[in-house]
Amino acid sequence: MNNPAIRIQNLTKDFSVGIRGVKLRAVDNLCLEVGDNEIFGLLGPNGSGKSTTIKIILGLLEASTGTCEIYGKPSKQVDARRSVGFLPEAPYFYRYLTGRELVRYYARICMVPRAQIGDAVDSVIELVGMTEAADRRVATYSKGMLQRIGLAQSLVHDPQLVMLDEPTAGVDPLGSAAIADIVRELKRRGKTVLLSSHLLAQIEGLCDRVAILHRGKLVREGRVADLVEEKDAESLVVEGLSAEGRAAVQAAIEAQGARLARVEKPRLSLDAYFLKEVHQRESEHAANNDSEGSN
Amino acid sequence: MSILDSFTRIRLIAGTTFLEAVRQKFFNSLLIISIALVGSSTFFQQFDFGTGELKFITDFGFGALFFFGSILSITATTQLFFYEMENRTALTMLAKPVYKLEFLAGKFLGAHLLMLSFTFVITLVLSAILYWRDTALVARLGDEVILDGPLVRYGDVFLFGFLQWMKFGILAAMTLFVASFSNTNLYTIIVSFFLLIICQLQYIARDAYSGMEAGWERFLVLGLGLIFPNFQLFNIGDQLVFDVDQALPLSTVLQLVGYGVIYTVAFLLLAQVNFRRREI
Repeated sequence: MNNPAIRIQNLTKDFSVGIRGVKLRAVDNLCLEVGDNEIFGLLGPNGSGKSTTIKIILGLLEASTGTCEIYGKPSKQVDARRSVGFLPEAPYFYRYLTGRELVRYYARICMVPRAQIGDAVDSVIELVGMTEAADRRVATYSKGMLQRIGLAQSLVHDPQLVMLDEPTAGVDPLGSAAIADIVRELKRRGKTVLLSSHLLAQIEGLCDRVAILHRGKLVREGRVADLVEEKDAESLVVEGLSAEGRAAVQAAIEAQGARLARVEKPRLSLDAYFLKEVHQRESEHAANNDSEGSN
Repeated sequence: MSILDSFTRIRLIAGTTFLEAVRQKFFNSLLIISIALVGSSTFFQQFDFGTGELKFITDFGFGALFFFGSILSITATTQLFFYEMENRTALTMLAKPVYKLEFLAGKFLGAHLLMLSFTFVITLVLSAILYWRDTALVARLGDEVILDGPLVRYGDVFLFGFLQWMKFGILAAMTLFVASFSNTNLYTIIVSFFLLIICQLQYIARDAYSGMEAGWERFLVLGLGLIFPNFQLFNIGDQLVFDVDQALPLSTVLQLVGYGVIYTVAFLLLAQVNFRRREI
């Protein structure tokens, strides 16, 4: 990659544990590049080194060996974080502030020019769909709303790279879908998004590329489609096929020298089914309200 | 990033830290108890001679300020620091273009602002009670005594409060230094109280030093005397408030302020050294 958003080379992080200082290796010789304007998923089970890697990228931890750069700048430099927005896992904010005050506070911390703060705050609050709840105290927010206001604070200084640590953990499917939509919108606006998760179903349709970590080591890296597709198989989805028709299709396939490997009913994922049902009920509810209003 | 930007960020962090602190029940409870104690000091004794009564009220008030102020300085600084760590708001903050020293300085200033509010309120209550008793005594004694000046120098009550506030600043900076390498609230509070006791009794080491012959023991005591600030230097309440003939020279006050600032900055920089390596 010519000018990657993140470039990690031979990164290793050891923690000293206990009085004797026994070394615990959290990240092991990791090499990774995240391209500009790409949605990149950092996947792995708990304890695989995802959060440690993110903290090193953010300059919150020092690497034992190796280097990490954000748009060409060493990540341990505070200046490199000007172009980074970060949403931590299960974020917790000052509860006595309203959502708007919170986002405004972080905008000022990030030195957004005073004349632009109002527009910047309104814009990100609208992007994350929190306009109606923006003047309520953070203490009254649900988990999904906290995630969204957390996203707003991470975006308020218009960073080029957005890092989301387990953005959908503990959030219901509707909230997760809303966060996924925001991530897609960010990509459409030219941003780079790095997100870590162990909820693979939610990541699958979202990421351009993923890296899988296990015990601190990079196991696999590549485009999602390339990693999960069965390269020597294709599926045909047909409707209204009789038993005779199916036998004929099978015969035709065998005549081509191929083999019908399996026949199965196409299934929606449970996530997709749930969202479809909820959206349908929401539409009916809205339509009923409209008709009652017009009567 | 300019130095002005740094000051802005420190001010913003200090502002939220202060707001967070004044919302704590602990602060409000301690403030109410302290006010009640200082306010009730006049009912604790009966004296025949007027200035004796005023002296008792002043000692009582200064004692309450030191005792509760020290507790508040240590516990509030510890709580405010660990609140950010445990709730991981520090993670969100330090992921922004914010230096760790700015974060620490903001936390310190927030806690120090809290102590300023506490010290000011207690000093104000003490001055009001002194004024009330002062007026009552002068009215009662009438022509029996000839006064060539006020019984109490009220400006110096506030000056004493200011010097105590400087001392609380050193204490808060020392607490932040302990917190920077500690993993728990309790450990930080206990060690900080030990440091407070050491600093209160530090003059003993200095006395011992003056009587020692040259050698490594003398060098060790000298070193300890320099590492730990001498808090007794700030206990000049009697000289300030009642020594009417000889007011405390401005140069002494400035020296005390300088002493406080040097130790505060030194402990904050030491805290920064630890905090840089700390896992957030």
